[in-house]
Amino acid sequence: MKNPFEAFQQTDGRKREIPLDKILKFKEETLSKILKGYEDLLKNEAKDLVWLMQYSTVIKAYSIAEKKIEGIEYTAEDIEEFCYALDRSDQIPYLITGPAGVYISTLCNYAKEEEITLHLRDLNVKINLLGYRLPPNKKLIVEGNVGDFTGIGLDGGELIIEGSGKNYTGAGMKRGKIIIRHNLGFNTGHGMTGGEIIVGGRIKGLGKIVGGKIFEREHLIFPNEGVKPFYF
Amino acid sequence: MKNGHYRKRIRGIYEYISDTLYFNRPDIEIKGERFNSTILFGLLTSLNGGKELIIGEPGLGKTTSAEYVGSILYRYPLGVIWGSEVSGHPEQTEEKIIGRPHLGELNRGKEVVVWTNFAQIPVKIVDEINRLPETKQSMILNGVDRGNWEYLNEILISDEYSLFATANYQDRGTNTIIAPLIDRFDILVESRHPGPNIASNIGKETRLNHPLRHPQYEKDLHQILRGNKPYEEKMAMAEEICDLFGEHMKENLGLEGLNKGERREIKQDMMEIDFDLDANAFVRMTLAELSFCHKYGQKRSVEACEEGCHYTGYLCHHIKNCASNRLPISIRNYSQALAWFVEDEEVDLEHVRLVIPYTLAHRVQWKDSYLSKKEGGGRNDPFQIYLAKEATEEIFQRYNEQRDYLLEALALACRAFNGEEVTPLDGDHPIYEEIKNDIGAKDEKSF
Repeated sequence: MKNPFEAFQQTDGRKREIPLDKILKFKEETLSKILKGYEDLLKNEAKDLVWLMQYSTVIKAYSIAEKKIEGIEYTAEDIEEFCYALDRSDQIPYLITGPAGVYISTLCNYAKEEEITLHLRDLNVKINLLGYRLPPNKKLIVEGNVGDFTGIGLDGGELIIEGSGKNYTGAGMKRGKIIIRHNLGFNTGHGMTGGEIIVGGRIKGLGKIVGGKIFEREHLIFPNEGVKPFYF
Repeated sequence: MKNGHYRKRIRGIYEYISDTLYFNRPDIEIKGERFNSTILFGLLTSLNGGKELIIGEPGLGKTTSAEYVGSILYRYPLGVIWGSEVSGHPEQTEEKIIGRPHLGELNRGKEVVVWTNFAQIPVKIVDEINRLPETKQSMILNGVDRGNWEYLNEILISDEYSLFATANYQDRGTNTIIAPLIDRFDILVESRHPGPNIASNIGKETRLNHPLRHPQYEKDLHQILRGNKPYEEKMAMAEEICDLFGEHMKENLGLEGLNKGERREIKQDMMEIDFDLDANAFVRMTLAELSFCHKYGQKRSVEACEEGCHYTGYLCHHIKNCASNRLPISIRNYSQALAWFVEDEEVDLEHVRLVIPYTLAHRVQWKDSYLSKKEGGGRNDPFQIYLAKEATEEIFQRYNEQRDYLLEALALACRAFNGEEVTPLDGDHPIYEEIKNDIGAKDEKSF
């Protein structure tokens, strides 16, 4: 009699590839490319695991990051996944929040989507420099708290933080809008020349502001009679 | 793709019927395309020489859909199709369905049978089959099943035919279709209302002459079919007229039917399409649920299993009868035909998942307790098709959960069947018990 199971002779260990598998595989590949770019950035910019936050180092890190992400096909979800991968020590050899922030900002600035939402409430670290140079027609919404230097050099985009920020938020921003749902730290808007910072809670202290507007709990606190523009 | 031009022609026929003759709504989806099940399964029935039972309300195009498909695909003018239809009614006789004695020859003491057009032409339509009384339904059992028509001492064997039967929903004039007859149908579809917006366009373009009619060719064909020549000779002559009608359709309607050789070639192509592993394993799982009985060895309509059986959650517990051996044939033929139609290289899960409910709907006898549990819920399909679709999806869910394990069990069974010493896999589904049965790993119950 013919073997009724003959068709299954070669089936040992064969797994079915379902569409979800393909999607997950693609996602994994994308994430590993993004991680590789970040590691290269760290190798260039933080050889001794130290990264000095200076005007020139930020610009340099940003231009390296621009090159590293070239050709990577990614979405906002992949950026979010990268943020969580940063947070998991087993995935990334080291996390330095400065270059990480510049790298994430670069990813956001070059993402296909005009509106990006990052759900970072469960992140253990506070990433610095998010929203760096956010260009016009881009909206970045961050759910969760962020670190220092958020939205610095903002270049026309809209940055919304559904949480609190730390010091030097909006420093050197040129145009655009930063909305902070809760509180901000010291030196807010330091060196900003234009745009608006709208804060729903309290601001611990303002920096030396050249131009633009800052609102605290719906009140315009810069410029006003007590705080005049600073001329460097 | 091999023979792609045939597929293009069949698509053309589908589109022509759908756009101009049989107003409909698409109700099934395969590989991202939506189709109307009545036309699609009608075409597949004609292509693979199947048997289709079309149900529906009176006047919703059950018979006409079959007439159009048969006429275009086999290139018989509509008048010949009409003239060969058999209608079911209590006074119907064998003489009107199959054949009658040649009275002139009988007077001379010779027994010669005059076969009906229905018995002779390859497109066979039985209208309102459930108006035939149960006793008379047996008359057409053999013909429906094998294409063998017997009268007096003569037999007419159709080497190629497809059969369409229509049935109204139960009313005072209808009878139950007997189980052996209904099992002979490969597929059950419903001819549905197209919806008010499409229905409002019916009859807008009234034509004096139906585009599928041709009085001269109809006359010629009737003459050939009535003649005294041997059946094979008559069919060869009829094919010549069909060629002419085919040319006529091509010129006037842009439609290309299929000649006998082309139909055979397509059938051959379809038969060569293999099932992929998933489709193969899924069909096995389905058949296991429809034939397995833990207590009595297999399902039998005279033996009901009881509550408390380990397999209470499976379909075998909800049905009365056993799946016949015609079921896997229907599933195979129609899945292959569908894969051919959508230009796939293999039969996969999507094809079998679409086909199985339509092959099951008329065959499964559900237990009353199950029916009362299921009726009353909202649905889009007639109850039988709805239940079969639900059942198929239920099995599919189980297949998804157990897929890798089942394939492993089947692979092991293959090795065991070849004589290797392997331990068969145990699993929570009738199929694992059946596998053990086949490789001789299950102890026979002591009675």
